Amino acid sequence: MTISDTPGAAPATLDTLMPGPLSLAGHRLGTPQRAGALTMVPISGPAYPGIAPPRRALKLVRVDGYGRVELRNGAADGVAIVPLHMGYIQDAAQNHALCRSAFIAAGQTLMFEDAACVQASQTGYLTGRDQWFFILPVELRTRALQRRGVHDFSKLWPDIAALNRGYGLPGRGHLEQILSRKRPVLTQFQSRLELQPGQLGALFFIDGRLAGLELAPDPGYFADVWAALVCFAYGVAAWHAEQRHAQTQPPSGAPAGAAAGARPFPATSLSELRAALDRDRAARIAQIAQWLADVPTGPVEFTEEERYLGLRLSTVTGDHLSGQVVTDGDRAVYASLFAPWPVDTPR
Amino acid sequence: MDTPTLLTHLETHAVPLTLPRGGTLRWDDADLHKAAYTADPEGYALLGLAPGVRPWQRARVLLQVLAASQAGLDDATRTTLARLARVLTLALPPAHVITVLLGLRRLRANHKHTTRAALRFVLEHPDADALIAERRPALRDCFEHALGKATARGCARRIADGDTGSDYLQRRLLRFLTAPHHALRRVPALYAADPQANPQQQAAAPREPVLAVERTPPHPGTVTATNRGDIAATLVHLYRGGPAEELYVALDRYLADAVAGYPRFPGAVGLVLDASASMRGYGERQWALMSQAAALRMVLSRVCDRLEVVEVGGDERVPRGATDLATGVLDALAVGPDLVAVVSDGYENVFPGDLARVAATLPHAGVTTPVLFCHAMFTRTDDLTLRRPAPALPQRGFWHQDDFDELLPWMFGHCTAGEPWLRAALHARLDALDRQAAQIGGIAA
Repeated sequence: MTISDTPGAAPATLDTLMPGPLSLAGHRLGTPQRAGALTMVPISGPAYPGIAPPRRALKLVRVDGYGRVELRNGAADGVAIVPLHMGYIQDAAQNHALCRSAFIAAGQTLMFEDAACVQASQTGYLTGRDQWFFILPVELRTRALQRRGVHDFSKLWPDIAALNRGYGLPGRGHLEQILSRKRPVLTQFQSRLELQPGQLGALFFIDGRLAGLELAPDPGYFADVWAALVCFAYGVAAWHAEQRHAQTQPPSGAPAGAAAGARPFPATSLSELRAALDRDRAARIAQIAQWLADVPTGPVEFTEEERYLGLRLSTVTGDHLSGQVVTDGDRAVYASLFAPWPVDTPR
Repeated sequence: MDTPTLLTHLETHAVPLTLPRGGTLRWDDADLHKAAYTADPEGYALLGLAPGVRPWQRARVLLQVLAASQAGLDDATRTTLARLARVLTLALPPAHVITVLLGLRRLRANHKHTTRAALRFVLEHPDADALIAERRPALRDCFEHALGKATARGCARRIADGDTGSDYLQRRLLRFLTAPHHALRRVPALYAADPQANPQQQAAAPREPVLAVERTPPHPGTVTATNRGDIAATLVHLYRGGPAEELYVALDRYLADAVAGYPRFPGAVGLVLDASASMRGYGERQWALMSQAAALRMVLSRVCDRLEVVEVGGDERVPRGATDLATGVLDALAVGPDLVAVVSDGYENVFPGDLARVAATLPHAGVTTPVLFCHAMFTRTDDLTLRRPAPALPQRGFWHQDDFDELLPWMFGHCTAGEPWLRAALHARLDALDRQAAQIGGIAA
């Protein structure tokens, strides 16, 4: 049972979400999954071939001083689309995040002069050991996008400090306070929500509100960025929402609805139970479809940033949604779009 | 009381038996034990050997067995109870046994089997010398209660006077023992001078049982995907693409070894096997959970007359996709099993809470089939806070192949069809422990 084929669900489609003339023809929404405050609706659809998978192809070559990060596309063929707001954490080295996406052709190296330092420490060359990448938490993404092209390595420190304070952590410009120290709980999102076969994108809702739309060229690319998206880009805000809920609800040690006093379905036989379960799920899927229909819309501005053959990388800016997309004609190849998500805004 | 409820009680209620000075024995669940014994003395007693039963509950079983009259029981049952008493007196911490024997004194319970068990513990326990040195007054009370104070002291006097086998000593004392020569030395020790007079010579009282009922749990320094038992390790190498022919031959051998000690389960088990993406895992833990869950499935397939597997997500070879446990349980119930076991890491996401609601509805839908949750874990210390999709279901975790020894009795103990299995398995356990007890007795003699 998916959103796309649920009877009675609001007529929400991906096309209504994608800004401007972008087409997601042939893409479908799958069965939603939920983990606490985070709901993920998988997107499947036709793959766009020829894009290098980021986790395997992209390598961090070095951090050349504050705010300068060099990446290499080590793939033998296939252009790499650098995931928007990708960052690296590595032991004994400075952690940086990128404020924009980019194309890197096969075998090419690219220096990002406008990277943001997310932790003050020594600069230097990095080895491949103990290196893992993340994607900036959604709370930081709007500001990071706004500050792309700005050569100021400390440009995110005030926002990171505010984020830390909002989460009850010391107000310092160290994103590691969340990403590393809370890693055991954040990485559980990788298991709490599960990648579907053929999945190449997802909608992420936190507490019923659209937080982001992520679309990859193919399932392999999406699998590469899945953990960084679910654990860090959206997992951080979802974890914080769960913390807030835990303060207002008695702890059950179990997922919502799974408490010892779970409410029985109205059924007196197995067949009735199965039917009641199906009805209940259809209602919940319809509710999620309604969330989709309720996503605010409005004008957005497209700014082309880069080209690679027929591919265009553009920045999307709007009051309700921002991010970057890669297109081939009117077809969306890659998209990372997110809602403004200020820290501690009552929702 | 039904077996699952009793077993759960034995596994969870750890309150000690106590003997307040001058008061009555504090035995908070005596009615429960008495009722269970009355309903099925042998079945009740054997449950005391089930893996995972708390030591103080085993002490209660020993107390109940020794306190109750055996009038009306057949010889086979009496033999089983006697063997169980012998095993438990060696398999419990000596202090627990002493509390039991003193409790029998407070209860004024005295039967031939009580006398025999008490005398053998006091005079033939492998650590009897050290125990007498440390707990002399208590053990003397046990000895005098077993024989009666006058008879006990009469025996002690005769032994002190050099009697080694008179008709009186034979009939009153030695006939209860397997190694009477110990009594000739240890009875005088029970009546020796106050040990406090020379505390330096006191031996430290043995605190550990001399017979291990539970298998020592594995404690590898670092848990990996391949040090969790032979079956799972072999499966991990198969999943990783290792040499199939060689690995399958080994797998067959490991499976045969693993099931050799289990009786046949004469019923049907519906197994809801979580084969979603999270069961595959990632990084260094990849395949760890799936391989152990598959190992359990393979063991069950060889032990059960009928095993119906409902895979959720993907399949055992290719775990993928989301976790819909609620539908899995409904599908499993549809095949009419005696028992449904959900094997999962506990990450339910389509939709979370549905399994709990389905489980809560089953009694209203007229379903009496037990549904159990078997938690697939990476180590015994996994944080399960976010991994309990249906807290009201009976649940037990497993991470190592050795855990199957506890898991299977727990599973089969939840259904009527499993009672013969449980009894047969526990009889086999008693046989094995009794052989060890005999060896211990032989060494001590």
